[in-house]
Amino acid sequence: MSDYVSRVWKLRYFWLSLVRMDLHARYSRSWLGFGWSLLHPIAMTAVICTVFHKLFGMDIREFGPYLLTGLCFWNYFAACSVMGCTSLQQGEQYIRQYPAPVAIYSLRTVLGAGFHLLPALVVVIALSWWFKGFGNLSTLPMLLPTLVLVFLFGWALSIMTGFANAYFPDTQHLIEVALQVLFYATPIIYPPDMMRSRGMGWFVDYNPLAALVQLFRDPILAGEMSSLTTYCVSAGAVALMGCGAIFTLVKFERTIVFEL
Amino acid sequence: MASIVLRDLDLTFHIRQERRVALKSYLLRGLFRKCNNPHTTVHALRGIDLDIHEGERLGIVGHNGSGKSTLLKVIAGVYPPTSGQCLVDGDISSLFDFTLGFEPLANGRDNILYRAYLQGETPKSIGGKIEEIAEFSELGEFLDTPVRFYSSGMIVRLGFSIATAIEPEVLLVDECLGAGDLAFQNKARNRMEAMFDKARVIVMVSHDLGSLAKFCDRIIWMDHGRIRMDGPTDLVLQRYEEEMTGDRHDSPAVMPGGMRIAS
Repeated sequence: MSDYVSRVWKLRYFWLSLVRMDLHARYSRSWLGFGWSLLHPIAMTAVICTVFHKLFGMDIREFGPYLLTGLCFWNYFAACSVMGCTSLQQGEQYIRQYPAPVAIYSLRTVLGAGFHLLPALVVVIALSWWFKGFGNLSTLPMLLPTLVLVFLFGWALSIMTGFANAYFPDTQHLIEVALQVLFYATPIIYPPDMMRSRGMGWFVDYNPLAALVQLFRDPILAGEMSSLTTYCVSAGAVALMGCGAIFTLVKFERTIVFEL
Repeated sequence: MASIVLRDLDLTFHIRQERRVALKSYLLRGLFRKCNNPHTTVHALRGIDLDIHEGERLGIVGHNGSGKSTLLKVIAGVYPPTSGQCLVDGDISSLFDFTLGFEPLANGRDNILYRAYLQGETPKSIGGKIEEIAEFSELGEFLDTPVRFYSSGMIVRLGFSIATAIEPEVLLVDECLGAGDLAFQNKARNRMEAMFDKARVIVMVSHDLGSLAKFCDRIIWMDHGRIRMDGPTDLVLQRYEEEMTGDRHDSPAVMPGGMRIAS
């Protein structure tokens, strides 16, 4: 495995160039440029906040940053799942000519998605400072291990969806349907306590996505470290996904060229 | 020492009746069952035994579908052998299809970088090669234009210039001696010859028997995935030509010069 990772690292200039090109191609001719990627979660937050404030009397100062954090994480997760599906097709011409590790094509997708997550987090932090002051400075470094976990989670996910889509072309469509279900099954637009108070705590307690998003919310919004349970569930989910991705690569990477 | 060793190498493809099935059909219509979605096995390479040593220039001939290009892709590491061994010692460079592997949205100059990085170059090692490649391609200001606006001839020029700018130990060439327009073809031919002089092992697939006779000192003749004949260039090409033109005479069972004839 270390040999595989070193082969991926050896080609770092290649995949980094492709990520840079993807971002450049996406934003080079728009006057708002990179701001477009922030506009979506911010606009969604504004609309949902207004509705929830009017309907349920939610406090915008609490709920706004909470919701924006959830949406930023969700957009990253959705991008890794959906765009991961086409990552191998995107690299098909290279796969047909060079025996490079196939995981680099998923990496291209995940780094692109991650590049959108980082500035979105900066906006979230700024918003929480604006509403609540600088109470979270000491816990912000805890975002670093979270970013590593989330990156590995997204990479593993992208590898698996990429291979699945190479074998079954309707994978992307099925994932889009599953994402709609998962969106409401994960505490993105509602607080987990809302489910717990209705006797459906298990719904969020056993959802690894809920744990991963909590790793962002605790240090940014509450200014505190996440619980050990949250870390364990998140790390477990990453390990599980990692095993799935490694299994996929070991079993299918050699012959994937015949499926493209 | 650069070398290629193939031992009892087989490659089979499984082609299913319904090639790319939707997951829904796979599960609901039971397409995972062999009887519902029967597959045909294509035996692309059979029992290939081959030793190519340092300094050899090997040509491969054979009719369409005989397994020439497949064999080259196995050596390049793109296709995995179904059984047997493929051991290659030395850095491989493959010239398969110059027009593949371009990012259409990126300009020519950036595409040069991507290809070079994929071949393991770094910003340091690539140094002045970029300018040298740009100059050889003669694309001038078009190098700053996205590749999707290039004509097919321009793409060939760019692809050839990039692919032949390196100094490989093992060079694999598949039917790509005629690149670009007439003026560029002469230049390309000279460049290929210079590259052939530098490479330590060359394996070349071509239907152009003249080029094979010029560049290769040994030829293998592929037929239905097997090596039908392996020996010195002039003898194998002569037999091959006789067969192709229907002018074949009975040949001796054993040919001189260590040549072997598969039954």
